[in-house]
Amino acid sequence: MLICKVVKPLVSTNRIPGFEHRHLQVVLDGSSKKVAVDAVGCKPDDWVICVGSSAAREAAGSKSYPSDLTIVGIIDHWDPDSSNPSVGGEK
Amino acid sequence: MEIMQVMGRLVCTQRVAGLGHMHLRILQNNKGKKLVAVDPVGAREGNWVFTSSGSAARFACPDPSTQTDLTIGGIIDFWSPDG
Repeated sequence: MLICKVVKPLVSTNRIPGFEHRHLQVVLDGSSKKVAVDAVGCKPDDWVICVGSSAAREAAGSKSYPSDLTIVGIIDHWDPDSSNPSVGGEK
Repeated sequence: MEIMQVMGRLVCTQRVAGLGHMHLRILQNNKGKKLVAVDPVGAREGNWVFTSSGSAARFACPDPSTQTDLTIGGIIDFWSPDG
């Protein structure tokens, strides 16, 4: 799983039907921007955990959902400069 | 999923049967690398799109048996690469 930071929602009106009306978020993985399906309802600047591959499809709704990156949780406390999030504690 | 820009179309008449008659597009990712994706949505040159890769790319096609590992999932309404 990846630790990512939510940047902003992504609006795409013209999309394939398989994505349904699910919310998409632009997330920052290190320095690279990616797009993830939002299964939990997160806000910009939230730290989240994302899953990839086949877990991303099931976490987003069904085994045939076309996602390769899905947000599955919002991290309560996380300090990017600390290696131990339970000690870091900045929100 | 990743954000990429459509650079143009690609024509491959001679192709495996598993690709069907899907349209192909040349995409450029944020590192400047050029990739080819199948296009079920009808993206045009200059459009910013988001793509599904790996096995999810197959489910993003109308027919999940399509032999692809990169598919355009949708055209982004508003996007500037700087954020």
